[in-house]
Amino acid sequence: MAETCSRVVVTGLGPVSSIGIGPAAFATGLREGASGISPITSFDASGFPSKQAGEVPDFRPERWLRRIDPEGWGRSGQFAAVAARVAVEHGGLDLDRVDPERAHAVLGTTSGESRVLESLTVQFGMDAPDTMDPRLLAQLPAARLAHAVSEELGLAGESVTLATACSASNYALGYAYDLLTTGAADVVFAGGADSVCQWAHAGFHRLGALTMDACSPFDRHRSGILTAEGGAVLLLETYEHAAARGATMLAEVLGYGANCDANHPVAPDQRSVAECMRIAHRNADVKPSDVDYICAHGTGTPTNDAAEAAAIFEVFGHRPPATSSIKSMIGHSMGAASGFGAIACTLAITEGFLPPTVNWSTPDLAFADLDPVPNVARPARVRVVQNNGFAFGGNNAIVLLGALR
Amino acid sequence: MSATITGWSRGSVVAGPGRATLASWTPGPVTALSERPLPAPDAHAVVDFDVRAELGRRGTSFLDRATSLAVVACRDALADAGLEPDDTNRDRIGVALGTTVGSFKSTSEFSLDSKVSEKPYLVNPVLFPNTVMNCAAGQAAIRFGLRGVNATVAGGPIGFLAALRYATNALERGYAGVMLVGAAEEFSEHRAWAHALSTGDPKAASVGEAAVVFVVEASPTGRAPQADVLAVCTGYGPAAAGGRDRALRSCTRRALRTAGVGHDEIVAVVTGEADEADLSEYRPVTGVLGKEVPRLLPKVYFGDCGAATGGLGVGLLLAGHRGIGPSPAGAALVTGCDPDGAVAVAVLRVVRA
Repeated sequence: MAETCSRVVVTGLGPVSSIGIGPAAFATGLREGASGISPITSFDASGFPSKQAGEVPDFRPERWLRRIDPEGWGRSGQFAAVAARVAVEHGGLDLDRVDPERAHAVLGTTSGESRVLESLTVQFGMDAPDTMDPRLLAQLPAARLAHAVSEELGLAGESVTLATACSASNYALGYAYDLLTTGAADVVFAGGADSVCQWAHAGFHRLGALTMDACSPFDRHRSGILTAEGGAVLLLETYEHAAARGATMLAEVLGYGANCDANHPVAPDQRSVAECMRIAHRNADVKPSDVDYICAHGTGTPTNDAAEAAAIFEVFGHRPPATSSIKSMIGHSMGAASGFGAIACTLAITEGFLPPTVNWSTPDLAFADLDPVPNVARPARVRVVQNNGFAFGGNNAIVLLGALR
Repeated sequence: MSATITGWSRGSVVAGPGRATLASWTPGPVTALSERPLPAPDAHAVVDFDVRAELGRRGTSFLDRATSLAVVACRDALADAGLEPDDTNRDRIGVALGTTVGSFKSTSEFSLDSKVSEKPYLVNPVLFPNTVMNCAAGQAAIRFGLRGVNATVAGGPIGFLAALRYATNALERGYAGVMLVGAAEEFSEHRAWAHALSTGDPKAASVGEAAVVFVVEASPTGRAPQADVLAVCTGYGPAAAGGRDRALRSCTRRALRTAGVGHDEIVAVVTGEADEADLSEYRPVTGVLGKEVPRLLPKVYFGDCGAATGGLGVGLLLAGHRGIGPSPAGAALVTGCDPDGAVAVAVLRVVRA
């Protein structure tokens, strides 16, 4: 491992989620075990058995954005830019006092501008190929998720979109951590964004991964995910940069690990997930016994939760830390999911509580000793947290966060 | 920062016996590749590419064209380096591939199936992973058993260079010992029409198809170095406000400084420009260098290959194209821009052609 130069701290949170926009609303939702699930409005879902998703209700980007015109950007880019703007405000960062070339945007995503692609598909496939709207074509590249943040905040550093599917925000947070700790950055906006769209809903349904009712991770009768959307961005800084401007330091990024199952495109792999945990612990210099809370990938599918729980027991032994899934509340926001997880982890540290797994009723005997923090948030002193993210393509990434030392 | 290229998919640039062709120097008829009307009868496509001929039937039935091209390029790069993944090294071999949107065609057709089917969920589930942008990197890992960090970087025209930047960080930080770095863009009616309808100006004469992958290592042990990657830098400046030129100049200076290479050592520039008349990268870059240097234009030779463009550029240098591959005494810049304002500059020194 290369010499670490600088500590990395979290100084601002930007959740744009189905349970609220901004850290206060998001924290309240997590504490109350709120549900962000509602009838789908993004597309005509009447032909689907499952008609619900975790959409961001009444999303009006123009209320938040100061520099970019929402009209020029797809919905995922809008989520990213608004989330970054919220993080700036929460962190009290004066962008005029930041060296723009040392300020970067790193965003993760699964499907990029999926709604733009859906509109182009209708033009291409149902009308004629030459009817595709050039303005929509210009909005299609997934790179624009990071660019929306760079443009909105006037950043001149790296503007990178990592498309590692449902662990992409953890990949982004990890790369951001590297940029900061190696001295390439003062400030990085890192997280992810995705939008609810019909084809993802259809795909998960046909994989048998979409639940007909509530998402109930770690429950014996869990039956799948609910698709969701949003933007989740964290403001990260070097310790020195944050200290020099008198910022409130919410948490510290301790390190991360990433690996690949190299086994199956969609099925999780317990061995590989456990190995990813060990890599993350090693890189973050954390022992399993140090970890107070695991923010699970916890999709609520039978296979994910079984593999994830088994990997946790493999690494942590028979008494692992409390492990909950916020997807039970906000749904599976794909590339934004582990960004929301990291925000929840930070709030767990600063506000002293464990977010619950809602919709939970029956233990699964395969992992009966796992404590999913059932249904009700729990007060707790939280020092070290583990944020899990796994994905199609076997792209695992885990970030460790800690209270300020 | 310094990393070393020890192998690559030569068929991306150099034709030869027993080697898959992974890009096309000359536009040719492409109507056989599409059941729909195309905006132009010819394009730079690898028309006779056949994934089953390359990889066999097993595991290839549901791979789309972009993923197939990428996996074959990974195979060729591994073979060129003489690197055989096994249980002693597979945890330390990673993948970083650049892309624009993954497979536009796969995703759009899956989306269309949902729109036009009697029931919106009557889509083919085995095709669902093809709609996710990390499909190619994940499939490459599966086929060759590569368990290291596995990333897909959506950079559009700078996709390859952004993946190279990501990979050199992973190597420098010790997360992996070897990274397969590359990009693939397929020919499809979707990309052909997107190219034709795009109002971005200037643009390449033709859409292109290519896959290119390099084996990049932190410290090669037992494998001959072919080139050193001395620096890769990226940045952003809004193109609409003239900020992109400034960003590219700044990025060039930063890359040269990081590489420890003097302006006078640069003997060639490979750009992502559309044609000879397009100076949008060459002018700011040579402005920093303070001199004119020979320029290579992958888009003129191969059409617009999107995220693969920068990789083709590195391939041209390694192949000593036009005799201006940099000698051991000299270095070259590989540059790229996207329409919004992202810029990238890599500094390379060819060690052995």
